[in-house]
Amino acid sequence: MNDPLKEIINIVGDDNIISQSPELETYTVEGKKPNMVVFPKTVDETSEIMKVASRESLGIVPWGGGTKIGLGREPQKVDFVLCTKMLNQVVEHEASDLVAITQCGIPLKDFQTVLGEKNQFLAIDPPHVENGATVGGIISTNDSGPRRLRYGTIRELLIGVKVVRSDGAVVKGGAKVVKNVAGYDLPKLYVGSLGTLGIIVEATFRLYPIPEFSQTLLAGFSKLEQLRETVDKISNSSLVPTCLEVLNPSLKEILSDGLGLSLKRGEYALAIRMENVERAVRDQISRVKDICSERGVEGIVIESSSEKALWGGIREFPWKSSQNNKTVCKASVVITDVTRVLGFLEDLSNRLALKILASARAGNGILIVSMDGEISSLVEAANSLRNLVVSLGGNLIVQYAPPVVKSQTDVWGEIGASLTAMKRLKSHFDPRGILNPGRFVGGI
Amino acid sequence: MTDRPVSKPPKWKKSFGDKLIRILHSDGVISSDDELIVYECDGLTGYRIKPIFVVLPKSAKEVSEIIKLCNHENVPFVPRGAGTGLSGGALPTEEGIVISLSRMNRILEVDIPNQRVVVEPGVVNLWVTDAVSDSGYYYAPDPSSQLVCTIGGNVAENSGGVHCLKYGVTTNHVLGLEVVLPGGEIVEVGGKTVDNPGYDLVGLFVGSEGLLGIVTKVVLRIIRKPESSKTLFASFDKVEYAGGAVAGITARGIIPAGMEIMDNLSIRAVEKTVHAGYPVDAGAILLVELDGTSAEVEAQTPIVLNVLKENRAKEIRVAKDSEERALFWKGRKSAFAAMGRMSPDYYVQDGVIPRTKLPEVLGEIEYLSKKYGLRVANVFHAGDGNLHPLVLYDASNTGEAEKAEELAGEILRACVDVGGSITGEHGVGYDKKRFMHLMFDENALDTMNMIRCAFDPKGLCNPGKVFPTPRTCVEAGRATYKEHPIQKAGLGEMF
Repeated sequence: MNDPLKEIINIVGDDNIISQSPELETYTVEGKKPNMVVFPKTVDETSEIMKVASRESLGIVPWGGGTKIGLGREPQKVDFVLCTKMLNQVVEHEASDLVAITQCGIPLKDFQTVLGEKNQFLAIDPPHVENGATVGGIISTNDSGPRRLRYGTIRELLIGVKVVRSDGAVVKGGAKVVKNVAGYDLPKLYVGSLGTLGIIVEATFRLYPIPEFSQTLLAGFSKLEQLRETVDKISNSSLVPTCLEVLNPSLKEILSDGLGLSLKRGEYALAIRMENVERAVRDQISRVKDICSERGVEGIVIESSSEKALWGGIREFPWKSSQNNKTVCKASVVITDVTRVLGFLEDLSNRLALKILASARAGNGILIVSMDGEISSLVEAANSLRNLVVSLGGNLIVQYAPPVVKSQTDVWGEIGASLTAMKRLKSHFDPRGILNPGRFVGGI
Repeated sequence: MTDRPVSKPPKWKKSFGDKLIRILHSDGVISSDDELIVYECDGLTGYRIKPIFVVLPKSAKEVSEIIKLCNHENVPFVPRGAGTGLSGGALPTEEGIVISLSRMNRILEVDIPNQRVVVEPGVVNLWVTDAVSDSGYYYAPDPSSQLVCTIGGNVAENSGGVHCLKYGVTTNHVLGLEVVLPGGEIVEVGGKTVDNPGYDLVGLFVGSEGLLGIVTKVVLRIIRKPESSKTLFASFDKVEYAGGAVAGITARGIIPAGMEIMDNLSIRAVEKTVHAGYPVDAGAILLVELDGTSAEVEAQTPIVLNVLKENRAKEIRVAKDSEERALFWKGRKSAFAAMGRMSPDYYVQDGVIPRTKLPEVLGEIEYLSKKYGLRVANVFHAGDGNLHPLVLYDASNTGEAEKAEELAGEILRACVDVGGSITGEHGVGYDKKRFMHLMFDENALDTMNMIRCAFDPKGLCNPGKVFPTPRTCVEAGRATYKEHPIQKAGLGEMF
């Protein structure tokens, strides 16, 4: 082993590294095996590690729960993996302020358990939570779920960060208060930055009270146009849904079968979730039911464990199946183009003989699409989907794909003139280019 | 980059002025002394600097050409919206120009179905709501100056407002920008769609106080007007009780649209001026605004009423119609202006504290007020802990202005000590540069300098604001460079 790696082992201790097979293999990043995995226990250790890495220009891949390690381009080099698993303490939970500070290696699941003790929660519902997705990973990838309609994404919830820069400097941004405009908004810069600007070690969040009551209305639509009109009506009403999701027929089938519901085949589904005090929830669900009935559609009300299972299914569906060629994309368009994209996916599915599952966050313009089939068809589908979405003024991110598909399609898409500014930022924050090199937009 | 630039010779000035006129035509360039005076300060009137020219571009292209010229001639520039800012963000810089965005005031697109409005930076905040109100929508960030302040200014400061407790601040409602960078390039970041790949440059620009470029187009998110809203008014013997009520409401899991507290001094000032009907012997008044669906508001109201009673509210009123609601709010909205009845001058600060620290910090403010012998009126966004202490003084008394500033500084220190911020809405600007070190250590300031260097290595874009001492820009990639002690002390530059 090289001296710098020995130096790093000295920092964390022999017990807190992995350097042997077969364990080492589980930390492979897009086919590249690291020399070592390190598990710092403190922010100071993290800082010391970065100083060595910076001095020696070692390529680092930050790793939380590893659930989204497939997101990004092929890494340029992987000298070692820095896993934040041991930075897992909740630092502070001030319930009366609706604020909490936590170390970022903590699985979201554990963090929510702690917050739940005071009947509060971090209002983010991304996938992979059961598999150990960490708070830091969720921030770095800007992952999200259906609840974003009401609560926004992690961007809206993160009010402070502590990061370790590539040169080892420990930097704090933001504060313990929601209203804060002192200096640049560093927390925002780190959301979605994929570990390329520093290791996020601590995060301060604004919290919400756990809603008292919840119900979901599930309704089937045979015509996409009718569905679009209904979603439009709901979005423009004064109803305040927590989630407003449109499921394509294939996905609807899988989820309703799982719930033991025998819904009509071949229909799109609208799933609307209301969360509030009981009285307000029942009132809103009833109003949504009326909107659907006016259009000749009967919705069914789902609650308790079935409701939980439904939304769990919506969050996790791309990741549940383990097909070899699975390709998962996230498309972002304006709200009025959502059904157009769904229609396009239907055509693609027929034309290219692909199995396509899709869920649209209809109130946000976000579609999560999981496709499977022949490699060449997947490539064509991903690229033509991107072409459509970009022509509509949106963007497409390939969240997961086998290497052979990734090599023929662009994970991030064109960034435009602002890429130059992004590259300049990166060159200042990480002049040696050691943090997740090559994985981000424009090869950053 | 030095603090006191050498005065430019008249021949150069004339030539520079001519070049500006070539870009903008003569009606877009202000050069006469009596007109320039209008631009010598913003809402922070204690500091005034006359710019050498003021320009009024009408397009991003013109802004870009102006900035390129400034780069060529090494002239610093300061963007300006309506000039209502309270931190001196639009204070001109010595031997620099002001770029006023007031002529770029068109609403470019109203897209109701997609809930987006695209505007030029000079558009007044309230015009956005006016443009979508008939369709049942509004633009949520509502600073008290919304009748006058511009969206561009809101973006620069990341402005808040009464309703930001529930609905967020400017950065939660800006989805895209067109920016002219300090080198003159025009770039687009974000857009009508969300989750754009790459770094969140939109999030970085919002609140950057005009240091990273000049915004020439803004894509805003509009939201549906709530079905129902209800305003409750309560008076208390002590501010602590009002604070307790706020904590109690939060503890019950309710997030109102807004919660505002005013102390006795502010109440008396307001009653003298607008006669909102506030009881002048009350220790504090609390305004709570609930909104949402009718069912939600109906369910929340009795809970809030109970909390108020539990916290010893003396008088509780529920606005029975929009007229009464407007009257409840009239007092709060005229609070700053009403200070004129109590004092010839005031200096307002903008510290933020965690709600739970309210009694502690208010106690500290009272102590400081006695120590400095100056009255402090307190008006604040109780829901998010954003205080607005109004330090009352008389500038005609020697040294009183300085004492007021010192007292305000101590209040900010107290805010940071309990985990808060030196500014919740007004920005750092020129006013609070000297307090940045209370919140940020060397590493943090260094990191923020990296950001500045990535965008404005020459230091021409709104220099002298936000950051306490000028720092040089290390050439990116020279990771091993260490600042020379002379450089570090701000006494010399590397070239």
